[in-house]
Parts: sequence; structure tokens; C-alpha cells
Amino acid sequence: MIERVYDVFARKHRGDQLSHIGYVDALDDEMARVYAWKTYDEENWFEMCVIRRRNIIPVNRQDSPFSGSEGDGG
Amino acid sequence: MKALLDIQNLDGPGVGALRRLILTLADSKRMMGIRYSDWLLGAPSIEAGIAISSMAQDEWGHARLLYAMLKDVDLEPLTIEHERPAEEYTSVGALDSAFEHWAGIVAAMTVVDEAISVALLGFSRGRYEAARTRVPKMLAEEEFHASLAKAWYRRIAGSSSEARGLLRDSTKKLLPPVLAWLGADDAAAKVMVVEGVTDSSQSMTEVYRARLRDLTALVEVNIDQAQPDGGWDEDRARGPGWPDEDAIERARGDRNRALLVE
Repeated sequence: MIERVYDVFARKHRGDQLSHIGYVDALDDEMARVYAWKTYDEENWFEMCVIRRRNIIPVNRQDSPFSGSEGDGG
Repeated sequence: MKALLDIQNLDGPGVGALRRLILTLADSKRMMGIRYSDWLLGAPSIEAGIAISSMAQDEWGHARLLYAMLKDVDLEPLTIEHERPAEEYTSVGALDSAFEHWAGIVAAMTVVDEAISVALLGFSRGRYEAARTRVPKMLAEEEFHASLAKAWYRRIAGSSSEARGLLRDSTKKLLPPVLAWLGADDAAAKVMVVEGVTDSSQSMTEVYRARLRDLTALVEVNIDQAQPDGGWDEDRARGPGWPDEDAIERARGDRNRALLVE
């Protein structure tokens, strides 16, 4: 089974900017949802979402943690 | 909206039935938490371990809220939580023993936790005010348990034949005691339906089968053909047996009894 990297974004209040708060490794989107919610539960988040890292399109740098498939098993 | 239940108007059998319903829900939650806690350090990944740890905490929190409702029916939650022997536990029999492999706990997460949620859904729709106000938040938290359960169930069902076989065997083993528990249709269960405290066992069982039908089919288990266990114990609202002693010692907090503060 191949795990993928999902980045986790959240905001505490409506109107706050969505911030990157961490990442989780998961086998699929559904597990990533739960892992993110259960791992980053230190705040009473207004909104949280996850995105598979390989789906992030780098704009000006190719060497950042978000530059596509780096560290992503699939 | 149905009028709220006035417990003072319940007769003796009615109060007894409400006690039994609250207790079996609370004990099942407590034992579900114990079984999740068995896997804090044995899950397949750190994330899975964190998730199941959080789910254990959810279950214990839910159990605590349910035990607190026992005050309404003149039972002392402190005594119930910390002083009962294993033989008096009323938790669903499917949780009596620890699960030996990840496929087993995934089956329990799917088959048992879902049944408890369906029972709580019926309770939350009824006339008992504490259930109507406190249970919906539990059910919201349970949505994440159900999501993780389904994701893992599908994943294991689609993996090796050995893993799928373990999941199938676990599912087959868990369904009979769960169906007996959820489908209880004895005198006390009927009183709760007549008083509008919860849904009928028939409707809850139909909801339960509908929720799991497609999932269990993935491991060639036809949930419509699964039958409840026999040997119903009306006093405890469950089948024969009781949880293993180790689980009960943890549930009661025996090791830290000297430090117990309420």
C-alpha cells in the first residue's frame, strides 16, 4: 500500500486566511480527511481542508516542499 | 416535535427500561474506547495511531456523558463507572475480547461502532431531553469514525486475499452479537418505543443493514442473511458473556483507584 502526502490547511474563524498547518501521510483522500482532523485538533477550527501535495502547482520555485511529487509516494 | 419525556410519569418498568437503554449505550461506548485504545501503538501508521487514539477519547467522552444521564433515573454514575464487576457490564458482546489484528479492529470500527451510532441516532430523535441535546454532537464526531472505517474497510477488502479473509471472518463473527443487540425486541425495548424514547429495533436494524450492505458485500458477506445470536439476557440487554477482566480493570480505572477524584 502506497501512502501519499496531503497538505493540511485551516482557519480558526470565518474571514481568516487559510493557513498551511501541516501534512499527513494517507492511503487515500478519505483517510487523509480523518487523519488531518484528528491530528491537528489543537484548535476549534472553523474550516479545514486537505490537498494532495502532487496536485499543488509550483509557481516560482521547484525546490519547495510543495513542488509536486517530491516525497509523494504516488 | 414530540413532547419531552417526563421521567416522573414513567412507571417502574419504564424507568427500568430507560436505565437499561442508557447503560447499554454507555457501556458499549466505554468498551469501544477500550478496544480502540488497544491499537494506540499498533496501528499501521503514525496517522492511523493518532486517529484511533482520538477516537478512543471520543468514545470515553461519549460514555461519560451517557453515564451522567443515569442520575435522571436515580443511579449514581460514579458507582456504575468504577465499582461494577465484569458480569454486570451491558456492552454489546462483540466487544468482549481484544482484536488480534488490524483487520479485526477495522471490522469492529465498521460493524460495531456503526451499530452504536444507529442506536444513538434513534435515542437522539426520541423524547428524552438529555439525549436530544447531547447525542447530536456525539453523532457528528462519529461521522469521522465512520469515514475512517469505510476507507480502511475498502482498502483491506481490495488488498491481499489473506487480509480480505481476516476482514471477512471478523465481520462474520461480529455481526450476530451486534444484530442481537441492535435488534432487541423484548419487553423493555418495546416500552422505550411506546414511550417515544427511541426508534423501533426493526427500523434501526433496517437503517444499519442499509448503511453497511455495500461494504460487507466487498468481502462476500451478505448482511441481509446475517442472523442475531441467541441467548439474550434481558437484564443486561445483550447476549451471554461479559468483557475480559483486563478490559474491565482499565474501564473501571482499578490501577489508579487510590487517585480517583470526582
